[in-house]
Amino acid sequence: MERTIFDLQMVVEVIVIGGLMLLYPRITRRGLLFGVYVGEERSAGAEARNIVGGWNRGAITATCIALAVAVALALSRANPLLTAAPTLLLALASVALYLRSYRRARSLAPEPGARLAAASILAEVPGGTAIPVLVLLAGVLCGTFAVAYTEAHYGGLPDRVPTHFGTSGRPDAWSRKGFASVMIMPVMTLIMGVLLGGVTVLTSRAKRAVRLDAGGGSLDAQNRFRGAITRYLAVLSLLVILLLTTMSITSVQVGLGRREGLPPAMLLLGIGLAAFAMIGAVWLAIRYGQGGSRLEGPAAAAPLTNGLADNRAWRLGVFYVNPDDPSWMVEKRFGFGYTLNFGNRKAVATLSVLFGAVIGLAIWAIAAL
Amino acid sequence: MAHWSVVVDRGSEEPVYAQIARQVRGLIAAGDLRPGSPLPSVRTLAGDLGVNLNTVARAYRRLEADGFVEILDRSGARVAPPGSAATTRETLRERLRDVLARLRQAGMSSRDIQRIASTEIAALDDGEGRS
Repeated sequence: MERTIFDLQMVVEVIVIGGLMLLYPRITRRGLLFGVYVGEERSAGAEARNIVGGWNRGAITATCIALAVAVALALSRANPLLTAAPTLLLALASVALYLRSYRRARSLAPEPGARLAAASILAEVPGGTAIPVLVLLAGVLCGTFAVAYTEAHYGGLPDRVPTHFGTSGRPDAWSRKGFASVMIMPVMTLIMGVLLGGVTVLTSRAKRAVRLDAGGGSLDAQNRFRGAITRYLAVLSLLVILLLTTMSITSVQVGLGRREGLPPAMLLLGIGLAAFAMIGAVWLAIRYGQGGSRLEGPAAAAPLTNGLADNRAWRLGVFYVNPDDPSWMVEKRFGFGYTLNFGNRKAVATLSVLFGAVIGLAIWAIAAL
Repeated sequence: MAHWSVVVDRGSEEPVYAQIARQVRGLIAAGDLRPGSPLPSVRTLAGDLGVNLNTVARAYRRLEADGFVEILDRSGARVAPPGSAATTRETLRERLRDVLARLRQAGMSSRDIQRIASTEIAALDDGEGRS
């Protein structure tokens, strides 16, 4: 059963990643081409279409190869660790294809791009930031509760504690009782809660890249896009927090012998979470487009501003490095959603600490188990 | 430019804070921003424009000093309500006299000054004062 789920996940991941690769050029903001601002007219010209065509052909080929590898691995019942290979293969192919397309797009943009910035002078805050702050609060409270609950019952746990649960909900791996093996789950709950809540708050306040002379159409598209992404992240974060907190608490209860395993709903919650994450992201991309590009209408013909049009501020079209910009999160030029302003020291330091904590936790977990 | 926005050009010789202040003043003069209209917080406007927080704060302070906006605690600023009509008019007339004296001191004739004033009034009526 578990193996079948792994195989299924492997195939679905390849299909979703391949689908997103084909989708990305269709949801990009007009004026941008593979991370380069080439201007609104050129981005729809024949040369741009050639570059997109090359990307599409490469994406289809890479997806077919990755899918064939996935099916072969599933049929041969290979080592479970190898199930990550098709996704990794496709990810590497997408990086290579992107860099090729980026270089070709650069040749269409000899100028560094505009350094104009436009912003609404109306004080409305669409959607507000109350929900993201509540999500962050929920992450902190649930994480703290998980840590405190585990700490309070630490003394009563036996010498052998469960460290992994199978699809039936019953423990299928055990470890000697120790601070690391017991506390890893609640600490992860706390760190993930803060990280996801923090990213949701930052997204709700991300920079809005509106177009010049575009009336309210561009601003409206930006507001709707940012609001939708924020709501999606809020629900996703709450589901992850709920899943991790429940797992932390029930792990302790299983260890204490009060329960035989995780509640059956946990598996459903896990599957529902993965489905929501994937389907939600694809639906948002199709419905709104990157930066609300699919809602812009006639406004899309107006020039981009606010860093998106400034080729000097971007490295490889992916990394936004602008020390003069106080924004923490800015819209991606290629792909979907927002990225960090790597020129903002506070933003880089804060998120480095949080991501460093997650990586450190993973290393700690491997060492402890 | 659309009536809801300000635009800054980092390549311009005019300082960014002055560009913001001038455009907000223009929007108020053209009636696009009415007395009491809330303006975005310094953080929001600075983030969207990609400029330093102090730059927007300086623009707001200048607008406040000129009597165009009121700065509020944390929540941003709003367009200042019109003051006492008699006081405001007298104060502004005094400022106008100062400007006229400076123009005359710079060697301009009455006709030159009238031409400049007519151009500026026409631009204000057309809403060009904001860009």
